[in-house]
Amino acid sequence: MTRNTRILMQCIYWAFVIYLLVPLFLMMLMGFKDSKFIGFPIKSWTLDWYMTVFADTAVLQAFAYSMVIAVVSTLIALTMGTWIAVALTGRSFWGRAIILGLTLLPAIIPGVISAIAFRIAARVVGMEPGMWAIIWSHAIHNVPFVVLVVMARLSTMPKSYAEAARDLGADPIIAFFRVSLPYLTPAMIGGGVFCMLLSFDDFVRSFFLGGYEPTLPVLIFAKLRSGMSPEINAISTIVLVLTALLGLWAERSMRGLSKRASHD
Amino acid sequence: MTYTTETGTAGKTDRTGFWGRLSTFGPYVALTDILLSSPRRQFWFLLAIPILWVFITHLGPILQMLNVSLLSSYPPSPNKVSVYTLENYRKFWSDSIFITPFIRTLVFSSVLTLTTLIIMYPVAYFLARHVRRDRQILFLMLLLIPFWVGEVVRIFAMMILLGNNGALNILLQWLGLTERPIPFMYTGFSLSAGIIYLTALYMLMPLYSALEKIPASYSEAAADLGAGPWTRFRRITLPLSLEGIASGCTLVFLISTGMYATPVLLGGPSTTLFSEVIAGFFHVAGDQWPVGAAFSCIMLLTALALSGGFNKLMGFLAGRVSK
Repeated sequence: MTRNTRILMQCIYWAFVIYLLVPLFLMMLMGFKDSKFIGFPIKSWTLDWYMTVFADTAVLQAFAYSMVIAVVSTLIALTMGTWIAVALTGRSFWGRAIILGLTLLPAIIPGVISAIAFRIAARVVGMEPGMWAIIWSHAIHNVPFVVLVVMARLSTMPKSYAEAARDLGADPIIAFFRVSLPYLTPAMIGGGVFCMLLSFDDFVRSFFLGGYEPTLPVLIFAKLRSGMSPEINAISTIVLVLTALLGLWAERSMRGLSKRASHD
Repeated sequence: MTYTTETGTAGKTDRTGFWGRLSTFGPYVALTDILLSSPRRQFWFLLAIPILWVFITHLGPILQMLNVSLLSSYPPSPNKVSVYTLENYRKFWSDSIFITPFIRTLVFSSVLTLTTLIIMYPVAYFLARHVRRDRQILFLMLLLIPFWVGEVVRIFAMMILLGNNGALNILLQWLGLTERPIPFMYTGFSLSAGIIYLTALYMLMPLYSALEKIPASYSEAAADLGAGPWTRFRRITLPLSLEGIASGCTLVFLISTGMYATPVLLGGPSTTLFSEVIAGFFHVAGDQWPVGAAFSCIMLLTALALSGGFNKLMGFLAGRVSK
């Protein structure tokens, strides 16, 4: 590539970074504005909106509700995803491709359609809209991501590890828990945090499957539809900081994982 | 990780630890005798639950949606008898208020997918080829952090940028480019900006990992043989990144056809997308679920067929190039 195209690409990269970060930065700034109206310029600054958030029980409840849903659905997705990944790795049998295809299906179905399919299925099996319906849909939606991460990690595990455990007298179940599982843990942490972020941020499934109690994204959506207020900026900023920290931590643990894997 | 730290205490001699006690615990021994006594049984023990899970929970809801789409009324009510019918599918062709948003969604998603590809290809290329390897993580992070923030929060950020008192309008007025605020919001422009904002990283990641795998020596060899920059790109880099292009485009296309909050918050009456039409059948009171289900099936089949066909085409192109 010539020098000019390289400079051009560099410019596109930075322009894109600005496009991604500036709206979020402005949103954070607006949360400190001492006025009810969203918009520039900002004349005086305040922390009042954060005080409003911490005094708003609806927001705190929605936050706790979203957290519970994220944690429980992640635990289900991790269990099933790891199980499927272990069952599908290193084996060939008739129908394996079908099972793998079905495993990845929830990840590629467009959001609204998957939400509606879950809504109908919940109605058919008699599940009321509410916490368990949301947990169930989030868990199913997140399984494919766990499977992909765990399968990638499993493919780097030397076969001799499990064989050695078997030679030492462990049955397959104990061999899995004592050898494979510790090897998979970093990948499961990374995949689990990703699932938690997906669940915590999910709007469309929570919206269609939720009962009267809103999750945090649904609450923000409802507040946005009834009019913008700097309180939403404060909530969003808190969510942004928390998710970014969690994501960075997971990224770091995954990064360390690939480094350690190369030393194995 | 070594054998000693991981498996050193798992030997037959260890009967004191938790695992040792478990392996001699009566009910556990009986259970493993049933489940693990032959390779065949082990296989079914390991696979039975995953197979049941994917058929019941992954495929089940879609099949139930298909079933409901063929019913004349749902949810069941005592004074109506539900029969199988194709009426719900016929309804789709009956009125342009359904077909127009459908076509709009497909065109919109395709154009946005192409736009995202054109924007992200240079970004991915720059990251994979022109940034030092140890600094690539840092450069990627700058793009990844906004990606972890949820859909609704990012749409809100977009609203602040594009609103009538938004940053962009203030900037344009300050620069003297416009007298009065330009109404960006609730137009195709704000919707496009929002969708690209939300989907771009699904394009970046496959492109980046495809481009990262191409050895720099390929281009250098071609340069030694006298190929110019454009020829090198067209004959080497582009064909080898087709796989990344295919998966990136598929992801972005499928995600943008399924967006709901984005068109509701950023779009206007002239940009109604099919997802809003579908959702409408589930919000109004009355017997509209089967119609919504039928429309969802139409959308799902079309989206999967289009992206499947696109992937076949890309696979065909990649196959022709490699010969």
